[in-house]
Amino acid sequence: MAFRGGDWHGLSPSAALPCTNSGRYSTYRTRTHNICMVSDFFYPNMGGVESHIYQLSQCLIERGHKVIIVTHAYGNRKGIRYLTNGLKVYYLPLKVMYNQSTATTLFHSLPLLRYIFVRERVTIIHSHSSFSAMAHDALFHAKTMGLQTVFTDHSLFGFADVSSVLTNKLLTVSLCDTNHIICVSYTSKENTVLRAALNPEIVSVIPNAVDPTDFTPDPFRRPDSVMTIVVVSRLVYRKGTDLLSGIIPELCHKYPDLNFIIGGEGPKRIILEEVRERYQLHDRVRLLGALEHKDVRNVLVQGHIFLNTSLTEAFCMAIVEAASCGLQVVSTRVGGIPEVLPENLIILCEPSVKSLCEGLEKAISQLKSGTLPAPESIHNVVKTFYTWRNVAERTEKVYDRVAGEAVLPMDRRLDRLISHCGPVTGYIFALLAVFNFLFLIFLRWVTPDSIIDVAIDASGPKGAWTHRYSYSKKRGQNNEISKTR
Amino acid sequence: MVLKAFFPTCCTSADSGLLVGRWVPEQSSAVVLAVVHFPFIPVRVKELLAQVQQASQVGVAVLGTWCHRRQEPEEGLGRFLEGLGVIFFHEPWLQLCRERGSTFWSCKAIQRSTPPGVPSEDQVMLVFYDQRQVLLSQLHPPAALPDHQAGDAPASAGGLAAVFDTVARSKALFSSDRFDEGPVRLSHWQSEGVEASVLVELAKQAAGPACLLLSFLLSLLSAMAACRLFRLWPLPFICSKLSTCEQVRHRLGQLSLVFSTQKAENPTQLMRKANVLISVLLDVALGLALLTWLHGKDRIGQLADALIPVADRVAEELQHLLQWLMGAPAGLKMNRALDQVLGRFFLYHIHLWISYIHLMSPFIERILWHVGLSACLGLTVAVSLLSDIIALLTFHIYCFYVYGARLYCLKMYGLSSLWRLFRGKKWNVLRQRVDSCSYDLDQLFIGTLLFTILVFLLPTTALYYLVFTLLRLLVVAVQGLLHLLVDLINSLPLYSVGLRLCRPYRLAAGVKFRVLEHEAGKPLRLLMQINPLPYSRVVRAYRLPSCGCRPKLSWSSLCRKLFFGELIYPWRQKGGKQD
Amino acid sequence: MEEEQSFLDICGGSLTLQRRYYSPSCREFCLSSPPLSLRSLTAVTCTVWLAAYGFFTLCENSMILSAAIFITLLGLLGYLHFVKIDQEALLIIDSLGIQMTSSYASGKESTTFIEMDKVKDIVINEAIYMQKVIYYLCILLKDPVEPHGISQVVPVFQSAKPRLDCLIEVYRSCQEILAHQKATSTSP
Repeated sequence: MAFRGGDWHGLSPSAALPCTNSGRYSTYRTRTHNICMVSDFFYPNMGGVESHIYQLSQCLIERGHKVIIVTHAYGNRKGIRYLTNGLKVYYLPLKVMYNQSTATTLFHSLPLLRYIFVRERVTIIHSHSSFSAMAHDALFHAKTMGLQTVFTDHSLFGFADVSSVLTNKLLTVSLCDTNHIICVSYTSKENTVLRAALNPEIVSVIPNAVDPTDFTPDPFRRPDSVMTIVVVSRLVYRKGTDLLSGIIPELCHKYPDLNFIIGGEGPKRIILEEVRERYQLHDRVRLLGALEHKDVRNVLVQGHIFLNTSLTEAFCMAIVEAASCGLQVVSTRVGGIPEVLPENLIILCEPSVKSLCEGLEKAISQLKSGTLPAPESIHNVVKTFYTWRNVAERTEKVYDRVAGEAVLPMDRRLDRLISHCGPVTGYIFALLAVFNFLFLIFLRWVTPDSIIDVAIDASGPKGAWTHRYSYSKKRGQNNEISKTR
Repeated sequence: MVLKAFFPTCCTSADSGLLVGRWVPEQSSAVVLAVVHFPFIPVRVKELLAQVQQASQVGVAVLGTWCHRRQEPEEGLGRFLEGLGVIFFHEPWLQLCRERGSTFWSCKAIQRSTPPGVPSEDQVMLVFYDQRQVLLSQLHPPAALPDHQAGDAPASAGGLAAVFDTVARSKALFSSDRFDEGPVRLSHWQSEGVEASVLVELAKQAAGPACLLLSFLLSLLSAMAACRLFRLWPLPFICSKLSTCEQVRHRLGQLSLVFSTQKAENPTQLMRKANVLISVLLDVALGLALLTWLHGKDRIGQLADALIPVADRVAEELQHLLQWLMGAPAGLKMNRALDQVLGRFFLYHIHLWISYIHLMSPFIERILWHVGLSACLGLTVAVSLLSDIIALLTFHIYCFYVYGARLYCLKMYGLSSLWRLFRGKKWNVLRQRVDSCSYDLDQLFIGTLLFTILVFLLPTTALYYLVFTLLRLLVVAVQGLLHLLVDLINSLPLYSVGLRLCRPYRLAAGVKFRVLEHEAGKPLRLLMQINPLPYSRVVRAYRLPSCGCRPKLSWSSLCRKLFFGELIYPWRQKGGKQD
Repeated sequence: MEEEQSFLDICGGSLTLQRRYYSPSCREFCLSSPPLSLRSLTAVTCTVWLAAYGFFTLCENSMILSAAIFITLLGLLGYLHFVKIDQEALLIIDSLGIQMTSSYASGKESTTFIEMDKVKDIVINEAIYMQKVIYYLCILLKDPVEPHGISQVVPVFQSAKPRLDCLIEVYRSCQEILAHQKATSTSP
């Protein structure tokens, strides 16, 4: 449970301090937004979406916006917590259905989400990840409430199988009246535009980023006598663990001085264990299990070559992190990966065991001949590519644009749904939208907006924390407590 | 810090005098224990205080003066009281004063060590407390009190526990009577009803030998129970299965605890003994009531006459059920051959059972009569016996259940391992996980064949299993209810609950304060009362351990066990067996 | 000495906050909610009885009617005795402790007293409650083992659930006493 110690004299709006430290405020822009990030995926769950939300929020707070995050409860972590710089996170007690995604009925989350949107005076809802049911729910409710909506798609989909067809239909419904969509790579944009039948003009591309200071090379950590290939990914089908289990015995047979370090956990781990046992590779293949984000760098710097076997990938932060640590990257040529790194830093292969082995052999021969560039130089090149500040700036532009647009009124929204999503689905969802609207009216009748207390801002232009932070370090201390508890 | 003066309510109308009590510097609170009246000889007062201090290990001292003005204010008295501070030096020196006819008191605390120019009067808060209640009450949870024997270590318990501790330890101060013509006249709480204490003393004298005798008898009994003859093979096993034996053993243990000649060391143990005694007495009383009811008007005979037809009827119903199952139950089409085999097998069992019952029938009344006698040992024993009788009379249902469950369990295991074979996996016993494995063609063929056979035979077995499991669950539920009743009587702390009902202050959860009427300029007056423990916490704190331990099965694990055909046992089991 | 002010609770119901300043070191805050309204009582009773009458016409068993009367009476008694809290008071006494009293509609009182040396602080926290996100006042208790840790969080005004403006009033007042307590306990 998050708590806030200390006295509250300065926190009430009447006692808000005048801007004495104008130097700090000079960087603030004239127009600020109250942004609510919604996704099922957030810390303590680990992954690309989670760190994207966190880093983006931090940079937006730095630029003077007010940001809150809404996600579902993770085990014992429920309620309201504060992270660094007064980033407020709501862990809502909603039931998790599958793969950390909440079950959706399209209605049950409305009371809580509406309460939060009202009490935080949110103006822009920014949902993340198309796998997250909560993100879609929030979009649906926000449109009913007449708030601006932005959606970031982090993943790629196929078109052929049944599950993709269904998901794509859902995405079409969800995105047809969303104000703006952000994709992480051009491949992803193309994919999303096709899947959701969108107007490409409302889709922007803003790549992910890595914090280059977290991923610095350390050439002394890697052993010189043997070559090491590092794999860091969740061990699931989508990440190509089956390919990896084919590559390991072949290469280990060919090169006696080759080791593998595999970080990550997942249902496919058992395959790797069986391979290790069958070919007696216990001393050469190390399975590290689940890694914390801060440990990833320590694992990466132990290797020479980074292998990525993903079968589908929108952006792939892992290869940027690896390149930033100075590793030679070998990857499959799928999704948005070819856009991510320039050709001299990456060896691209087809997603098959044979092609990946060839790619790895090429990298190994380069390594042996010493023609690979030095880790430091790779790091210096990569660190300029993707930074969070840049991402935040570009996202801010999207917000500015969205804030100027009008939200579709109810009748036009229904028209759009019916005309855009096909006759059957369109009518069904139009009906649901009407129900949602009636439910909202009912909620407004039960608890009028005037009864809902306005939350005290921790961040943002009138934030209590941003004011007080410069005065006393006490806040920071509390903040630590709230993080650890 | 605000100075707190704890003042006993019984001293509010006392004559003027000296305040005797203890000063707790960490809390800056003064606990007044008594008032010493005029006239006194200062040396005698100091002697008395030294005696009390030695007996109670509490730093009792003169804290200040108490002035109760009944007549016109006398100038001389005020000055005289001030002068006393020189004789009995204390830091700070309290001056309590009650005006005539006024409920507001004035109170001053004077620091002598500070230089004279500085006004040294602290803020004072008066807290009234009832000495008797504070003395007799027992705090929950018990504060970590230092041992009384630990020597000169003063009470180190913090906060209000220190007040309670001080009052409880200074019993020696309260022993003097109001009407005694001692050298020093004190005013404090006094216990009333000294006359009744003669009876109490007599009872105390008698209790020692009685306990000795009873505990001797008990030890004799337990020695008999422990003798060699009862150690022969089938007896301990049967005893552990019969809940009557468990209950009798439990009661014996409780009685030997109550009548042990050792003195109870702390209040918790004392309370436990009292609770056990009350629960045994209640149990026996209820049992005797049952006995008189049973043995009046030939109720035993009626029962016995009713029992045989009931058992017959049950067997008959079971036969009908089996015949129904052997046909096409609920329109299901079963495997005819297996169905017939199973049905005949079970029918034969019922046949055996009926002949057994008829063999027994002439003796039933006699057995019941003797069983009825056991009620004089207590209601719990009678109820346990009833549960045992039910278990014996439904033994055939248990047998059916076990056969059905074993058969079903075997099939489930077979099916699950063959299902793994289909998917090219196998269970790795060494690593406790499922590995992939490549099978030969003939292995796969045989596996498929077996799988098909098992799958098609499964519904028949499952139906038998389902029916008998439901019957078994019914019996287990009835037994469980009986055991719940026994556990309730065994574990309810009746004495503590009664104490909470009649003397709420004896079991304290803490204190509560009430702000008394207040006038500006005068010190704040608070009334400290004992906050009694809620009933739920009383029951939780003093619950007696029941003899059978509760099932550790949760509902989900029970369902899982039922699904996989593992055996379920009755609720009450010995603790050791589950480990 | 005594001030009265009216506030709203989180559901929009009215609350009365009485502040009694007995002395600089002793303050009491009393939140009273409106008593049981006759209208809702009548409505509930009528519904139960009508339902019972409906069953009665179906089953023709007069037991149902008497059972309904009993159930309403018992329910009302139980509601007044265990559920409906009329008044909640917070008494804070410098260097002695904090006392929370809730008075039920039947007159039953339940009191908790927390000694001052166990109290770490009083704060306003936010929590998700039912389908709402609310602010509440709570007392943080010290962990006896670890001096900086918190062993327990005791919520105050649990049944009244006042809104933030009311909480801030109480909070400021409590902090004054706590600050005074901290200042005097460290100085000697």
